[in-house]
Amino acid sequence: MIAVQGLRKSYGDYEAVRGVSFSVHDGGVMGLLGPNGAGKTTIMKMLTGYHRPDGGVALLDGIDVDEDPLAVKARVGYLPEGVPLYLDMSVADYLDFAARARMLPRLRVKEAMDRAMEACGLSGMGPIRLEHLSKGYRQRVGLAQAIIHDPPILILDEPTTGLDPNQILEIRSLIRSLGEKKTVILSTHILQEVEALCSSVIILNEGQVAAQGSPAQIAESLKGEDRIECVLAHGVPESAVDQLRAEPSVQSLQCSELAGERVGLSVRSPAGQGDRAAEAVFRWAVAHSAVLLEMRRDRLSMEEIFVKITGEESAS
Amino acid sequence: MNGTWVVARREIRSYVDSPVAYLFIVAFLVSCSVLFFFMQGFFAAGVASLRPWFGLMPIMLSILLPALTMRMWAEERKQGTYETLLTLPLSEGQLVLGKYLAAMTVLGAALILSLPVPIMVSAFGRFDPGIIVAEYLGIVLLSSASIALGQLVSSLTRNQMSAFLATALVLVAMTMLSQLAAFFSLPSWLSAMVNWLSLSYRFSSFSKGVVDSRDCAYFIILSAMCLYLTTRRIAFGKWS
Repeated sequence: MIAVQGLRKSYGDYEAVRGVSFSVHDGGVMGLLGPNGAGKTTIMKMLTGYHRPDGGVALLDGIDVDEDPLAVKARVGYLPEGVPLYLDMSVADYLDFAARARMLPRLRVKEAMDRAMEACGLSGMGPIRLEHLSKGYRQRVGLAQAIIHDPPILILDEPTTGLDPNQILEIRSLIRSLGEKKTVILSTHILQEVEALCSSVIILNEGQVAAQGSPAQIAESLKGEDRIECVLAHGVPESAVDQLRAEPSVQSLQCSELAGERVGLSVRSPAGQGDRAAEAVFRWAVAHSAVLLEMRRDRLSMEEIFVKITGEESAS
Repeated sequence: MNGTWVVARREIRSYVDSPVAYLFIVAFLVSCSVLFFFMQGFFAAGVASLRPWFGLMPIMLSILLPALTMRMWAEERKQGTYETLLTLPLSEGQLVLGKYLAAMTVLGAALILSLPVPIMVSAFGRFDPGIIVAEYLGIVLLSSASIALGQLVSSLTRNQMSAFLATALVLVAMTMLSQLAAFFSLPSWLSAMVNWLSLSYRFSSFSKGVVDSRDCAYFIILSAMCLYLTTRRIAFGKWS
């Protein structure tokens, strides 16, 4: 459980974080999303006790990080941005150091190392020196050191940056499974990552929370209109189209010619009337024997939400 | 204490895995021996004395010890591991003390490997082992202060080379102070003050076999002060 209240931090005259509040419950993955310089990394540095906040409180499992940083650090696994490692050490030596520095009893070190290495796909790589590993494998080592003491809280700063698509999928599924039992905060500027992983999202912009909630909630609150995209097997007479256009739940309607004889219909309805509009489209299709090959409701994607929020904020 | 040892272990490993520790030990032994046996004409002098051998050590160590201390914090900052280190559940005191102990261990290895010289020379005459022990004690205390000071300088810099140069400059200056005082025939109150600060002057009583508690206290307080300031420097960094 993480509870953050009014967190602030300035670097000189530059206010990096300006009064951020949020909370994350156990067993959830929270995504910190924002453009570069939005304050994601600074928030994580304050949660891990690397930076002291200028104001506000951060409680991790009920412990104030400013009052008892060592107790908080013992509960947190942290993957800093860029995955700094001691490149002159081997994988096994480094994880051994990470385990002992987290005060794991000597007898449990070996077992913890094996577990972390297996979870991160590093089995059998113990003797390899870190400088000889590719970026993706270094990322795994960084993740392995963060989970080696089985912490209840994980803080991951851009955990998939620089990985190839296969590695990204692997690391994501690892984070997802870790998120089932732990509290995970991850920062990213990759929007699909949030949709793929996070149960809640905070969108940061210029050091402030611009939007907060589950990905669906955020999409809902921002959704100006519902969209229904249809593909018909054949064209329909203009009069039939006008009939659909006259439905009260239909705000606007566009027809487009597609490959073959297919016709595309793009229906827009006012916010909250999506269900009614969809029903109207269905009944209309039946009445006019229009063959529906495809019908889908479009949600506003995180991509669009992000642009909308951060764009509007900086414009205002 | 456990945390201190974890840090020290990693640091020692890193010294041993890199050529730094070996270069330090070899440079220390070779330079002291060459200067002692050949430059100072040990064989020609016809006197079996170890005083010049130990007399060389302060200046040699003030040039060589910065090579051990320069990387302590500057390298952590440069490769970003500073952040990982500071988010481990270890206090600043444990981190600083662990690094200090690791460098002291390398120094200890160098001193143990230097033992053949006094053992060999003692075959040529009768030596008081007490004096040799006092001299080694003096070297350990002097090195402790130098390592602590070097660590402080390393924590203040981002670049290893500037850490090395700044530490060497300060240590050489502190070692040479007493010679300067003698050279310029300063007024007695000023030369007393300069000598009070001088590392080699503090060491000179050890090389006579005298273990003066004031000299011990000087080195111990200087070490403790530098180590403490390093912990403050690191804690202060969290505000920036």
